[in-house]
Amino acid sequence: MSNVFSFATLRGLVDKWITEGRHVAGPRLVNDRLLYGWLESAGQLTLDGETRPRNSIKEFLFPRHEKLYGYKLGRKRVELTEVAPLEDEQIVIAARPCDAALGPILDHVFNWDYADATYNRRRELTTIVTLACQSFDAQCFCTSVGSGPDDPRGSDVMLHALDEGILEIRCLTEKGRRLFAGQTEPSDLKSDVNGGPEISFDLDKVGEFLESGFEDSQWPELARRCLGCGACAYTCPTCHCFDIVDEGAGGQGERARNWDACQFGMFTLHAAGHNPRSQQAQRQRQRIYHKFRIYPQKFGTLLCTGCGNCTRNCPVGLGVRPLLSAISRKTQPNDES
Amino acid sequence: MIATLRDTCRQLLRDGKVDVVIGYGQDPVGQAFSLSDSTQAKCLGNDRDGPVFPVFIQRPEDVEQLVWNDRCHANLTVYLKRPEIRALGRPAIVVKGCDQRALVVLEKESQLDRSQIYVIGMACDGMCRPKCETCDVHEPRGADVIIGKSASNMTAISADQRYATINAFLARSSSERLAYWRQELARCVKCYACRQVCPMCYCPRCIVDKNRPQVISTSATLKGNFAWHITRAFHLAARCVGCEECTRVCPMGIDLRLLNLSLAQAAEENFAFRAGDDPQAEPVVGSYALQDKESFIQ
Amino acid sequence: MSETESFEPKIIAYVCNWCTYLGADLAGTNRLEYPANVRIVRLPCTGRIDFNLIIKAFEMGGDAVLISGCHPGDCHYTAGNYHARRRWMLFRQLLEAVGIETERVQFTWISAAEGKKWQKVVEELTEKTRTLGPYVGYREVCEANG
Repeated sequence: MSNVFSFATLRGLVDKWITEGRHVAGPRLVNDRLLYGWLESAGQLTLDGETRPRNSIKEFLFPRHEKLYGYKLGRKRVELTEVAPLEDEQIVIAARPCDAALGPILDHVFNWDYADATYNRRRELTTIVTLACQSFDAQCFCTSVGSGPDDPRGSDVMLHALDEGILEIRCLTEKGRRLFAGQTEPSDLKSDVNGGPEISFDLDKVGEFLESGFEDSQWPELARRCLGCGACAYTCPTCHCFDIVDEGAGGQGERARNWDACQFGMFTLHAAGHNPRSQQAQRQRQRIYHKFRIYPQKFGTLLCTGCGNCTRNCPVGLGVRPLLSAISRKTQPNDES
Repeated sequence: MIATLRDTCRQLLRDGKVDVVIGYGQDPVGQAFSLSDSTQAKCLGNDRDGPVFPVFIQRPEDVEQLVWNDRCHANLTVYLKRPEIRALGRPAIVVKGCDQRALVVLEKESQLDRSQIYVIGMACDGMCRPKCETCDVHEPRGADVIIGKSASNMTAISADQRYATINAFLARSSSERLAYWRQELARCVKCYACRQVCPMCYCPRCIVDKNRPQVISTSATLKGNFAWHITRAFHLAARCVGCEECTRVCPMGIDLRLLNLSLAQAAEENFAFRAGDDPQAEPVVGSYALQDKESFIQ
Repeated sequence: MSETESFEPKIIAYVCNWCTYLGADLAGTNRLEYPANVRIVRLPCTGRIDFNLIIKAFEMGGDAVLISGCHPGDCHYTAGNYHARRRWMLFRQLLEAVGIETERVQFTWISAAEGKKWQKVVEELTEKTRTLGPYVGYREVCEANG
């Protein structure tokens, strides 16, 4: 027995939520490209087309720009203005499993030595409705990092597309149940889950290499074509580095937090002028180490969901999968190179 | 063509004429990720056999990695300014006609010594990009060797054809144009892929990375995004060669070409100048003529 | 006080020190009255004017921008205004493409002896901007939450 409802019903619900003042986000077709964005109406919601949007749902839990507080320099003291706490509910429709998983993964770092108030508030206020994947493209590698096309991690609701505009729905949390209460019908139909992409690299081999391969000569060669932009980091569901800036003029302004990327040349530039990661190879190496060794050692989970956005958006086709495939191939037994 | 390219490069490396060949490579099918035939059927997208990416060949036997097909989009001239690549030694570089233009601009701006680079021009009949529709350099100029012959009709393209897109855009009202950019630039996340992929963006410290004082907001807000893209477009005035890499690589699908096209048109209309055309022509910005028009000045 | 009734345009004038600034000063010594809407920013030469200054003026609430310097051939630094002239021509095209109202950006040559011209230019630009109204377009963009 399963529960189902139609895509038309989903659209109707989305419009209803929008008119109720909730913020609803989902995949939209923009200039022929699938991108997550806030929906102004359910008509914008696109469930088919490309395998997954080019960006991630990270934006809705950890926005690219977030005001922390305002400041005004007075004669004798600085006046601070607080930012009003968030109140509005958010719903993300048709996230992919490789996006939804970012919640449980990033919860660790955002509550490690400091409880990040705005991140946690957004997590509380957001319901994530995930659409399980029926297909994959050449960049997907969720199965290589212990995930898969119907991985429920981080999802409040899982949807599976059946035939003829019908969706099977599984509410996994109280938040999810509240959202869809009374909207579904029981059915005998059940979805048939596609196994996902074949494994691209051996995670154990990668772990072994990272253990001893920090100074390996492969890094400069692998990273040579990297141009040092932030496309991988900014479209990645789990990259979370940020920069704090004060922006204003005339003695007043705001302090804000903006996304930052470890691939930028100035990311580790010290005020004294020294840069411990002055070479692109060092920066690429660090990204892999952070995602596949440092974060798992600290928090018990990889900092990667296998979504493939890094490679999809990389101007030169780098990214986690090509890098780890190359490393994994070179450390195979019977390897002659 | 690919055989000739590989032979040429093999010979150049064997003879020690160059230390590195900068060209295009691609992971062979099945190596990028092993997909069996049955699962390939469930695989969407045209990157089935992996994207084409830049390669740096240093050994003659590695030239087999070089490929040439209709997805060789990258403008490889961007690598000639990167210190890690310069450290590899004298380069040979594979260029399309549009890429070669960047070499002309870079040389004029004293960023490279043309005599130290071996330029391999590839005859190109298009990479399925908008720029290809108005291309007039199917066979690159100024190359040390040209491989292949173009099958395209080589009639001259008029300025009207070249700027048809920007003219159509400028025909809209100014409030429509502002509304367009307001909508498009809202998606910009300040990843700077547009900047990093551009051969002409070679400032060691970009103006947006300066904060004493901070002229351009680094935040990915509309204010910051407008300031950034206007600044970058203007810094590329009459220097942008129209390789359209910035537009191709933008993760958020913003049509950045339009801003650069508007300035390219202004340069051609007012100064009869097209960046990268004539190695002898004086760059537009940085020089002046006593007869420059000033009808807009009171 | 409704904005349309008593809208006072804010005009930012980037002027060169050697010609236009002295011209404005001459207007003062000759007791020529000109609207107080203009805020003068003095620079050594029009060649120093970065187009970002124009964008900043609009970002920070300006309704019009005036840029003025020495006549061609009279630049105190010989060729600064020639360089500026080229840049302005290109920058106007970019402003057009972005959709910023170029009627609100005015370029002039005003020499140190042209106090009267300064008065006339400022009066005309102020009236023109008053008719155009406050420049809401770009400021709205800047104040919008991205």
